[in-house]
Amino acid sequence: MRAKLNIPGTLTLLALVALWEVAVRGGAVTFDYLPAPSAIAVAFVGIVRSGELLTATLHTLGSVLIGWVLALVIGGALGLLFGLSAFARRWFLATLEVLRPLPAIAFLPVALLLFSFSLTTELVVMVYASIWPMFINTMGGIANVSSRLNDVGLTLKLSPTQTLLKVLIPAAAPSILVGARLCLGLTLVLAIIAEMIGNPHGLGYAVVNALIAIQPEQMFAYVLFIGVLAIALNALLLQAARLLLPAYGRGAVETV
Amino acid sequence: MLRLAPWFSALRSGMPPLRGLLPLVVLLALWQAINPQGSPYFPPPSSWWTGLSVLAKSGRLGAALSSTLITFVLAIALSCVLGGLLGLLLGRSRAARRALGPTLEFFRGLPPPVIVPVAVLLLGYVQSLKLVVVVLVAIWPILLNTASATAAVSELLVEVSHTLRLGRVATLYKIIVPSAVPAFLVGVRSAIPLAIIITLLVEMLTSLPGVGSLIVISQRQFHSAEVYGLLIVVGLMGFVINAIFVTIEGVTLRRFPPRASYMHDN
Repeated sequence: MRAKLNIPGTLTLLALVALWEVAVRGGAVTFDYLPAPSAIAVAFVGIVRSGELLTATLHTLGSVLIGWVLALVIGGALGLLFGLSAFARRWFLATLEVLRPLPAIAFLPVALLLFSFSLTTELVVMVYASIWPMFINTMGGIANVSSRLNDVGLTLKLSPTQTLLKVLIPAAAPSILVGARLCLGLTLVLAIIAEMIGNPHGLGYAVVNALIAIQPEQMFAYVLFIGVLAIALNALLLQAARLLLPAYGRGAVETV
Repeated sequence: MLRLAPWFSALRSGMPPLRGLLPLVVLLALWQAINPQGSPYFPPPSSWWTGLSVLAKSGRLGAALSSTLITFVLAIALSCVLGGLLGLLLGRSRAARRALGPTLEFFRGLPPPVIVPVAVLLLGYVQSLKLVVVVLVAIWPILLNTASATAAVSELLVEVSHTLRLGRVATLYKIIVPSAVPAFLVGVRSAIPLAIIITLLVEMLTSLPGVGSLIVISQRQFHSAEVYGLLIVVGLMGFVINAIFVTIEGVTLRRFPPRASYMHDN
């Protein structure tokens, strides 16, 4: 994040929006359903006033939060287990590597079959997709801890638990935090996909519903709001990571 | 003469030992053996095959698979060409990067699935819709990675081209492009799973022909064996696509090895 405002960038963005407005008002664009930015703004005020936006946002954010925590716990625990145990890597890792690339969206019909249109369906798909970055980054982070640090643990006669808590996890923290951030982004994406197809609530459903009802202004208002929400969530997490790990500075957290 | 050995080793390296597949095999065998007959939701693995062969015999599986694969391949090819070229342009011009920065950040941050309804609204339910949507989603990681790698080419290297009196085109081909290739490939690597997901999502949402709509139809008719079978088909498709990409990536990276310079900004 830049501390200074990017003036030419902001001006370009404003100019693009103005161009859009003029093109639609002046009839220069031939799309049947492209609303002007001003009409979108009016629709946005409408969905804020009626409370629809708030209800949908709360549902999506709530399920993102539950899904994210579940994915962090499951992915983190699996990552720790596989990072620490060569036995687990030898006998179980290939199974996980077969399951990992299965596109989560293909699980949506299976989840629908089992749990029908519900929050469970949404969560199953979200968690399935988002445990993987957490798993890979935790496992990789633990496995890449320098063996010298391990020796320090031995020299200081730390117990295995102490070594884990005081040496391994802090050393792997930057990698784990990157995993947690990727995980949050994926949870949001999958929540929206699941709401579009599986669970008729939240922002994803609101977008599809506005599409079916042919309310382009409302649809664009939701879409733009989702974009801003996603960027805000990511920025929030970057900031939190920087507060948690000041020592690692920007490099460790911002890569990937 | 094709040398298969290095390709194979590129594919094999980084893979865990194969005996780790045992738990999966045991799980599937148990599923088959216990065979929860009463439950229509957990059809035994052997019936997945039956379900698939019914779909295959009617010709629906082949048609859906080829439609999905054609969309995917065309979309990735288009995204590579457009994303790579635009990324190079953007990376070479500091002014363009400053000017387009916030706009690009917004598109990068926008969750990809919301592009689907926007495109449906503007373009209607036409065949080309699938392609347009997938390109719109898959192009970003390629474009942004190429742009930042191009921008980060060390000034020293660019000065080398001045010293050697290389022309603009030669500088581009001999200095800039080789430095940007590894980051471009990283972009393609993240674009591929996105493209698969979005292809399936468009098909599910619009019922345009493809594997995505086929799964949804089977699910709506409660043909659960077909749903599980198609899940395996999608998984295999992803696996094969990834294996092909890893091979291409390995060969390309031997030709254009990553340089340390593109890793650090400034």
